[in-house]
Amino acid sequence: MDDLEAVDWFFDPSVHQDPYPYYEYLRAKGPAVRLPKYNVVAVTDYDEALRVFRDDESYSFVKSGTGPFPPLPFTPEGDDITAQIEAHRQSVPGAALLMSMDAPRHPALRSLLMGIITPKRLKENEEFIVRFAKNQVDSAVSRGRFEAVKDLSHPMATLVIADLLGLPEGLHSQLLDMLPPPSSQVGGARRVASFNPLEELDAALSEFIVERRRSPQVDVLTNLAQAKFPDGSMPEIKDVVSLASFLFAAGQDTTVRLIALCLRILGDDQELQKRLRGDRGKIVAFVEEVLRFESPSKNGAFRLAKVRTQVGGVEIMPGDLVVPLIAAANRDPSRFDRPAEFSIDRPNHHDHLAFGRGAHTCLGGPLARAEARIALNCLFDRTSEIRISEAAHGPLEARRYEYWPGYTARSLKELYVEVTPA
Amino acid sequence: MIKITFIAATGEAQTVEAKVGSTVMEAAVKNGVDGITAECGGACACATCRVYPDDSWRSKIDEASDMELGMLEFAEDAESCARLSCQIKVTEALDGLVVRLPKSQH
Repeated sequence: MDDLEAVDWFFDPSVHQDPYPYYEYLRAKGPAVRLPKYNVVAVTDYDEALRVFRDDESYSFVKSGTGPFPPLPFTPEGDDITAQIEAHRQSVPGAALLMSMDAPRHPALRSLLMGIITPKRLKENEEFIVRFAKNQVDSAVSRGRFEAVKDLSHPMATLVIADLLGLPEGLHSQLLDMLPPPSSQVGGARRVASFNPLEELDAALSEFIVERRRSPQVDVLTNLAQAKFPDGSMPEIKDVVSLASFLFAAGQDTTVRLIALCLRILGDDQELQKRLRGDRGKIVAFVEEVLRFESPSKNGAFRLAKVRTQVGGVEIMPGDLVVPLIAAANRDPSRFDRPAEFSIDRPNHHDHLAFGRGAHTCLGGPLARAEARIALNCLFDRTSEIRISEAAHGPLEARRYEYWPGYTARSLKELYVEVTPA
Repeated sequence: MIKITFIAATGEAQTVEAKVGSTVMEAAVKNGVDGITAECGGACACATCRVYPDDSWRSKIDEASDMELGMLEFAEDAESCARLSCQIKVTEALDGLVVRLPKSQH
């Protein structure tokens, strides 16, 4: 295992293609390990990761997205760098996003999103999600062979979130163009150079929010436009707009990855596919196990230590970054029996940390789950068999799957499938 | 600080200290009470922090909001006394609170 000692997890392409051996290498070193560079402590242990997720006091989320890149715009001084972080927040790229905010602003803005994406609302909206899924599936299936990322999961994820927000269909492709490109995150060099990477999208959504305050419709943007803070006060339009943008952006790539990974696993295991086709009730367990086994976001937010603390026996200094390795914690043998095995029969498949936990838990979890479940049901309705294209990905014993380079996203570049219409 | 006792489905009891002004869920999570998942972190959006307050305590807890009732309905918990612990504010009046936990939050 000597060669893994030299690995730079942020840049190494082989680790991006198959992260799991490196996670096991880290796990063998301890529950948390200080990585060779960048003052980052990575957590592979499930219990320690959970403790980090629930720690409300030690960390700032200002560098949540890209972590160590670029470096902090100041040198940490003293035992508590909270004041330094606030003084420099405006100079940190990406810090305008909800996920990079800290208390008290973070819980206040997040409270505006409460009740927006709940399982109950999604049940009410399910008809719309089903309609989109059917359209995408029908169009893809009619071709007999399609590329699941481009032809199914990406358009579906976009249309569903746009519809949930109440954005007119004519606007969808324009809105997609305004998002930062989903591709490579190599070395943290995402094209997120500015404080607010969603500036263009904000501008586009602004007039919709203003309009809904003036004349309410029956849609989520209206709920957002009219939502009040817990103390009864009304948020500024620009804050509501940035939340709407964030929801739109957050609901894209992540859900696309999940649906594609579900299809890859089903294509690779025809027995499992037959079983799910015959027992649709098990699709929920299947999706949970995909979330555990191939977590679409391999790590949680990078947490910037504000004070001294410890994780898994590793001493953390103010200015260090702590990152829960979700995909690794999801394979912790102390929590999951035979963790490297994909099994929908686990009693505790819901224990996974794929959506995080605590104050910054993914709010879109219920939506992602619903989209995956509905997409699979639609595909099962419209097809009798889904196979992985051997021309594109090789035979079962020697598959060639390519993932976008990047430390966070488990993102299939393409997934060519062949289907037999039902 | 007040004291709250969580009784797991196994019968095992765990008594923790809870800060007045926080929520019962936060007290559970901060003290590593295993039977509360709280997936959504207190957003009243996942119904995985359900507790069953003992009879004598129910009247001392504020009534559930419409949103909480909606989530409880969605969760289809067989226990009619189920509450979401993320919606129960810790007050001095709840010192000694006893709640039972479901066998599973899912």
